[in-house]
Amino acid sequence: MNQSKPVVFVIDDNPAVRDALDGLIRSVHLAVESFGSTDEFLRFKRPDAPGCVVLDIRLPGLSGLDFQDEMAKSDIELPVVFITGHGDVPMSVRAIKAGAIEFLMKPFRDQDLLDAIHVGIERDRTRRQAAATEAALQRLFDSLTSRERQIMLRVASGRPNKRIAAELKLSEVTVKVHRRHVMQKMKARSLADLVRMADKLLGAAETA
Amino acid sequence: MKPRILRAVTSASLLPAVTIAIAAGIFVADTITDLEIAFPAFYTAVVLLSVRFCKRRGVILVGAGCIALTLLSDLLTVATGASGVGLINTLISLLAIATTTYLALKIEDEKAGAYEARSQLAHVARVTTLGELTASIAHEVNQPLAATVINGDACMRWLAADPPNLDEARQAIARLVRDANRASEIIAQVRALTKSSPSEKVWLSINEIILATVTLIENEIQQNKVSLRTELSEDAPSVQGDRVQLQQVILNLILNAIEAMNRSPQEWRELTLSSARNDPNGLLVTVRDSGAGLAPENLDRIFNAFYSTKPDGMGMGLAISRSIVEAHGGRIWATPNLPRGAVVQFVLPVGVGS
Repeated sequence: MNQSKPVVFVIDDNPAVRDALDGLIRSVHLAVESFGSTDEFLRFKRPDAPGCVVLDIRLPGLSGLDFQDEMAKSDIELPVVFITGHGDVPMSVRAIKAGAIEFLMKPFRDQDLLDAIHVGIERDRTRRQAAATEAALQRLFDSLTSRERQIMLRVASGRPNKRIAAELKLSEVTVKVHRRHVMQKMKARSLADLVRMADKLLGAAETA
Repeated sequence: MKPRILRAVTSASLLPAVTIAIAAGIFVADTITDLEIAFPAFYTAVVLLSVRFCKRRGVILVGAGCIALTLLSDLLTVATGASGVGLINTLISLLAIATTTYLALKIEDEKAGAYEARSQLAHVARVTTLGELTASIAHEVNQPLAATVINGDACMRWLAADPPNLDEARQAIARLVRDANRASEIIAQVRALTKSSPSEKVWLSINEIILATVTLIENEIQQNKVSLRTELSEDAPSVQGDRVQLQQVILNLILNAIEAMNRSPQEWRELTLSSARNDPNGLLVTVRDSGAGLAPENLDRIFNAFYSTKPDGMGMGLAISRSIVEAHGGRIWATPNLPRGAVVQFVLPVGVGS
């Protein structure tokens, strides 16, 4: 999955600028999808690949800055590179505060745009990898029985088998058997590994 | 060519003299008639006249003076016999003068407020329209220019690839040419916009236009304490042109001149508008001010769009003026004035049959 070719999404209402950006980005061997409006972009079925959005500030309907907020609300986590013909300081501050990679004034240096796009793609790749690892971990955790989950969380919090047995009114032997199953199912190589997994799962549960 | 001064509009006029004469007349009449006759009531006319040429303080002084004159003539009349009715009449007259003075001051304040508001509004409207126009033209031209630059960059990258991708490079150049053409089309449209604005070409007297424009901004001239001279030659030929557009040119030039002088000492603020026949068959209009003047290196650039020597200038006024003058087949230029200030002149050709 992480091998899929990154895609750059260009959203600019000016066809000339759109075509030109399309050519420039393809010249560095990146895939490009261009859109004349944010609606077109939203209707497009995005491939499962790391990506980056090149967004014009002045767009028909929603402005680029407002669309950035809109993306955050609808869980589109693609990094954004802004391009604009007439930006000002408050605009750029707002964009960068909301997590934009760059805020470029037209006409800009091609290298500046390509650098920003690469930074964006790298950031998205990292985010996607973290998300993928987390999802895989969650799948493993979901494969545990409820008893095993109880035991895993107690083991991870550092409690000895004897105490877990007492808490759950089980025999110590039974706890040991469950514990071995947990280690196998979670593919944990060591206790420390399991503790780390539990931390991630709890962290994800908290932020979710 | 015999230039003749047709009219001189200056702040000095006959009005103060007339007013003083009326006041004197009332004083004499009041003194020689009986106290019973309420002649002093006519002083209200003096107060009302003074509003035309006096500031606040002046009007108050005139009011006070009228009251003093009333009392003085009463004292002189009392010798010939006083009565209760006369005293009441005097009181009523004094009250009338005081009330009129008060009302005159109120009216003056209102007028000043209204003038202020109107000129601010006009300024805002002018700046906003020009500002919007400029921003949208800039945006429209910037888009294809940005695309041109990106296409050029992309083309270089396709050529630098190993092996060079000539097909992609060619496509990028094709887009580049298309976008550059688009930019120049937009400029052509803007130019057409200023030229093709429905112009009514009729035979016009430039002197009439100059005087009409002066009337339009007489307030502005007085507010800025500028003394204006008009030297309009009687044998200035008629020209064929658009009245509104030519008036716009003259208005722009006068407003610029006034603005250039608003930091000069008051006694220097002299604006001269003149018209003359220009050999062999043309018309020359000159706007001469005694303001800050222009640096010699700026004389050519001031007519460029978006170029301004004023800190908050849009750089549109003279550019528009030039495009209008040129659309009329004329020419406009600026030279330094001696000892100070600037001279802006334009010539218009006089068509056949003038």
